Amino acid sequence: MSAVISARGLTKHYGKRIAVDSIDIEIAAGRIVGLIGPNGSGKTTTLKAALGLIQCEGELSVLGLDPRTQRDELMKDVCFIADVAILPRWLRVKDAIDFVAGVHPRFDRSKAERYIANTKLTPTMKVKEMSKGMIVQLHLALVMAIDAKLLVLDEPTLGLDIIYRKAFYQNLLEDYFDEHKTIVITTHQVEEVEHILTDLLFIRDGKIALAASMEEIGERYVEVMVGSDKVAAARALQPIDERTVFGKSVMLFDALRAGGLSRTQLAALGEVRNPSVADLFVATMKGTYA
Amino acid sequence: MTTPMSTMKWLIRRELWEHKGAFFWAPLAVAAVIVLLFGGGFLYAIIANPSFHVQVSGEQVMTVNGLPPAVLAKLATAAASSYLVITAPLFFVLPVVVFFYCMATLYDDRRDRSILFWKSLPMSDAQTVLSKAVTALLVAPLATIAIGIAASLILLVIGLLGGAIKGINLIAPVLANVNFYLAPVYLISFLPLYILWALPTVGWLLLVSSWAKSRVFLWAVGAPLVALAILAWFDFLAGRFAGVSMNVKWFGEEIVARVLLGVFPGIWFGEVNGEALAQQQQAGLDGPLLLGTSYATLLTPGVWIAAAAGCAMIYGAIRLRRWRDEG
Repeated sequence: MSAVISARGLTKHYGKRIAVDSIDIEIAAGRIVGLIGPNGSGKTTTLKAALGLIQCEGELSVLGLDPRTQRDELMKDVCFIADVAILPRWLRVKDAIDFVAGVHPRFDRSKAERYIANTKLTPTMKVKEMSKGMIVQLHLALVMAIDAKLLVLDEPTLGLDIIYRKAFYQNLLEDYFDEHKTIVITTHQVEEVEHILTDLLFIRDGKIALAASMEEIGERYVEVMVGSDKVAAARALQPIDERTVFGKSVMLFDALRAGGLSRTQLAALGEVRNPSVADLFVATMKGTYA
Repeated sequence: MTTPMSTMKWLIRRELWEHKGAFFWAPLAVAAVIVLLFGGGFLYAIIANPSFHVQVSGEQVMTVNGLPPAVLAKLATAAASSYLVITAPLFFVLPVVVFFYCMATLYDDRRDRSILFWKSLPMSDAQTVLSKAVTALLVAPLATIAIGIAASLILLVIGLLGGAIKGINLIAPVLANVNFYLAPVYLISFLPLYILWALPTVGWLLLVSSWAKSRVFLWAVGAPLVALAILAWFDFLAGRFAGVSMNVKWFGEEIVARVLLGVFPGIWFGEVNGEALAQQQQAGLDGPLLLGTSYATLLTPGVWIAAAAGCAMIYGAIRLRRWRDEG
């Protein structure tokens, strides 16, 4: 299967500062990819380059098109939320639906109206009368009703309460996603998306720090609750991260590191489990703000 | 079905949603004021005065209860050919509205970041910018013309009925006058000329609106004026010390005036030889003569060059919009 997003040596300078530093990305169809990185790491810049919103250097192909020169063609199959709560203030709910239905051949009006019906939004309501969360709800209802091959969501649930966030991700997985679609999500609320992701991309200082599928991550990274008597032995195996929970040491091991580690070897040290993406992220990004 | 034409239709409709106040309510409010002021004033005068009086130094010297047929005919011709003139204030509102619309339209959505929403939909930058140019050059003037014609007709009806009640019945002669029907046609016939003259201003403002990172007004208005001032100063110095003179007046008229004032309807009368208009004998406005002298300005290359420059600047605005996504 050909890649939905493929980048080679993608680079973006803002003046002298390098926002994205020669990264390679390969995202296949039918994946839900979490693009995760600290503030200012280059996630949004990478996405904007892929969406043809900014100029960049390097090879870049999205759905077989170059977003820099074929953006108009590309936008028929791509949809994105680059930032939430940016709908124009004068827009009415019904006008928004009419407009998107008018310009987008892949928009399913009834679907959008169904999503809207689940909110407190009314057809004549203007964006300027809405709370931040309601604006996001409207935006998501519009975007989720578009049958795009690639959906890019940059912090899609900012400002939403947890009930709606959970419902949104549930919808995204059950109602929207299928094997022909690809979704790229960035978010700081990693815990909420990790169960729907199929792939992880960690980005740090404009470079890809980790690119793997969730299965690979599960095989590769192991978290061990080390008994107090085995701490020294465990440290000898060079954990990539160590923290203390209720007096117990929790260590994170990379099974692929030089020498290699087996699960059984680690199981001898204490209780073994899969690390959360958030813990893995923190371990990978150690020293970012130092 | 989504076609480029249907997308264009929706884009223009979007502009009207956003600027309903400027394109409809503002001219409607002005029209309402005109109708109330003139129509109401006229009705009051009729009710307050039983007949037409001519007063000299407060003393009534003459009471007119009817008019001679020749005067009636002249009055009817004047009313039939120039009844639209009363809505002239609308055409002072239009350029102001269009000016500020063009200046803000490609800037505001960058400032509030809603451009990211519009750019997430399948429409090109060319379609977006062109929809705004069409709104400024065609939709807004048409709305004003329609409102102007409607308000004029209301006033004419009030005037004719009021006159008839007072014994000066002009209804039949006005309705029989071909100019009564042609006046709106003449007015609409000015639109193509208006578009040509407005193009450089609309193009310039869209370009600045698409380019500026802040202070659009300052760039749009200040830059040409500062350029003119610098040129005038330089010309003054050069003329004084080197004996060289540049054509500053030309720069002011052909560049600055065209990029800033082109949206004013009738700006072309600045180039018209006024003698023909001053010599007209007919009562009321001579529509064909006005149109003829106005369109005669197209015989000079300046209008065409400026209109072409306007198109080029609109193209520039499209190109700039392609990569200007962040406010």
